[in-house]
Amino acid sequence: MLRTIAWLFVGLAGAAGWGVLALHRGETISAAWLILAAVGTYLVAFRFYSRFLASRVFGLNDRRATPAERLANGRDYVPTSRWVLFGHHFAAIAGAGPLVGPVLAAQFGYLPGTIWIVLGVVLAGAVQDFVILFASMRRDGKSLGQMAKEETGPVTGLLAMVAVLAILVILSAVLALVVVNALKDSPWGVFTIACTIPIALLMGYWMKVWRPGRTIEASAVGVTLLMLALVAGRYVATSPTLAPMFTWSGPTLAYAIIAYGFVASVLPVWMLLCPRDYLSTFMKIGTILLLALGILLVLPPLRMPAVTRFIDGTGPIFAGKVFPFAFITIACGAISGFHALVASGTTPKMIMRESDARLIGYGGMLMESFVAVMALCAATLLDPGVYFAINAPLATLGGTPEAAVSVIRAWGFTVTPDQLTRLAAEVGEQTLLGRAGGAPSLAVGMAHILSGAFGQGLVAFWYHFAIMFEALFILTTLDTGTRVGRFMLQELAGHVWAPLGRTSWYPSIIVTSAGTVAAWGYFLVQGVNDPLGGINSLWPLFGISNQLLAAVALCVGTTVLIKGGKARYAWVTLLPLAWVLTVTLTAGCQKVFAADPRLGFLSHAAATAAQVAAGSLDADRGARLIFNDRLDAVAALVFMAVTLLVVAASAREWILVLLRRRPAVATETPFVETAYVG
Amino acid sequence: MWDRAERLLQVVRRVAGMPDYAAHVAHLRRCHPERAVPSAREFYEEYVRARYGDGPTRCC
Repeated sequence: MLRTIAWLFVGLAGAAGWGVLALHRGETISAAWLILAAVGTYLVAFRFYSRFLASRVFGLNDRRATPAERLANGRDYVPTSRWVLFGHHFAAIAGAGPLVGPVLAAQFGYLPGTIWIVLGVVLAGAVQDFVILFASMRRDGKSLGQMAKEETGPVTGLLAMVAVLAILVILSAVLALVVVNALKDSPWGVFTIACTIPIALLMGYWMKVWRPGRTIEASAVGVTLLMLALVAGRYVATSPTLAPMFTWSGPTLAYAIIAYGFVASVLPVWMLLCPRDYLSTFMKIGTILLLALGILLVLPPLRMPAVTRFIDGTGPIFAGKVFPFAFITIACGAISGFHALVASGTTPKMIMRESDARLIGYGGMLMESFVAVMALCAATLLDPGVYFAINAPLATLGGTPEAAVSVIRAWGFTVTPDQLTRLAAEVGEQTLLGRAGGAPSLAVGMAHILSGAFGQGLVAFWYHFAIMFEALFILTTLDTGTRVGRFMLQELAGHVWAPLGRTSWYPSIIVTSAGTVAAWGYFLVQGVNDPLGGINSLWPLFGISNQLLAAVALCVGTTVLIKGGKARYAWVTLLPLAWVLTVTLTAGCQKVFAADPRLGFLSHAAATAAQVAAGSLDADRGARLIFNDRLDAVAALVFMAVTLLVVAASAREWILVLLRRRPAVATETPFVETAYVG
Repeated sequence: MWDRAERLLQVVRRVAGMPDYAAHVAHLRRCHPERAVPSAREFYEEYVRARYGDGPTRCC
């Protein structure tokens, strides 16, 4: 009885949050309402919907031994208590995605993003993570690709692998672009990030050679050195001799990151990748907790309107209407196909009891969604004028604060040149104008929150702390992404010429690493040289590819349910699948075919050709831009084609099973009684 | 006191996905007494290989 009342109260609190968000009129609204609506919804969804999924749909059974118990080897199959594994899984799925997407989508106002992040996660994203975790746990921790192959056939497995490889390329390129836009002409940022390389090498040596396996010690030393580097960055930035050494232009940074990516993926893992991974995990968890605490302490007023005029598709940060583009811009945080790879990787091999999968799979994704809500708060607490000054492309704004202010005024937001100059000086930068990509505006918002909660006057420190924290784990994603891309390329190339498939053969490592880096490096350089800054073309491409991977994962999930004899519950994955397909295919078609050159790749190519013909654009440069547009169009078409093929192959399988032409046989590992008591 | 600190460190290690050498040695002694116990360094190298050997471990 008391419980019912408590849950009624939670539900009412969430509803009150939504009510205020929907009906509020006025200049600002407190972030408290947004957080109340989100957390209330999460709690109700976790208590009721995830329980329904766990008991009715999946039939989680604690009498059944998990792979971690049956195959325990102390290394990858390790029974792990559920809160520890929750933390581990969360650290693995949370990255730059949930931080950047909501910041970019804030150009539509705070409401569209909030609705999609919160409703999307409870009905789609968390369901996807949970179903894949469940399926993999019942199959000894098999990967998404292997499950696609076993459930639907070898062709689907191969297509899933191609989809994963393609998204890795786009993901790496766009994340690297976010780093470039945050670090260009910023000696403080470049110095701090450059320091992470020697710090990681030291940690690697410490953990492997000097004091083997003393990972905590090494990480503590690493974090301390990183903080010192952050403080030292200020002196570098103000020193007349050192500052020019670390002031790098966009293209220089891009080539440096490409070179770094290649070296990192060729070096042994223990040297660079593994220590950086630890460093970024600790920084990530620590900073997210700090940010949550800061937001709760400050409860900042949100200055962005609920809905801006840019829902009509004329937004400066990226083109396209609120439908479908809000839903692909925010991928991670609402639903992210990439999570299916983690949920079918290390995590299922560590689950101690089947019922733990509910907290880890569903709950872990709710937590990531909350990170996205915090990022949205950090972006929308800025003055809208400041937000657009940081995020709109330089080509739109003009180079000076005065020019930018007049452009932004024309959009209906007030801001003064003095305000922009003062803000840049406050965070220790020359300028913040035109730093598209989300990281800088998020960092300004975070600096505002953290200095408000933990120490006024440290704005510059917190700003660079936030930049460092984002760049650090983006570069770690880049390292791991390149390695994974290399392994997949080796596997594919092994079919053509067997020696290339040997993962430890050095010539093969060099060739396939170079191939992977060249692929994302090309898109990165294209983005850096794009007159509109690159984010506006690459981020939608990333959103589309990530959501299409989610569609593949949901297809596998549906197949698992139908073959497991749960066809009457297949709607739990079919509904999100239908929504994700609708959104991404609409967005994909618009990006390729729309007549507006700001939106469509092909019409932009045509408009560029017309400019060249009229003599207003250099022919060489024009040819390059046209090639890039066509390449982006082809990439989007390939993503869509691959997904539709997977959907078709899966649907065929479902129908055959439902018509009883094919036996509904689950490929689960047979039941073994657990040895755990109670 | 030390017990509790040690347990906390173990939690931190596990959250970050770090290998737990002591736990592995205990596991070997208990379940596979016939196998040789690896040194801390061998164990760490093997763990790094297993963890980054295949598949993505990190998300966007």
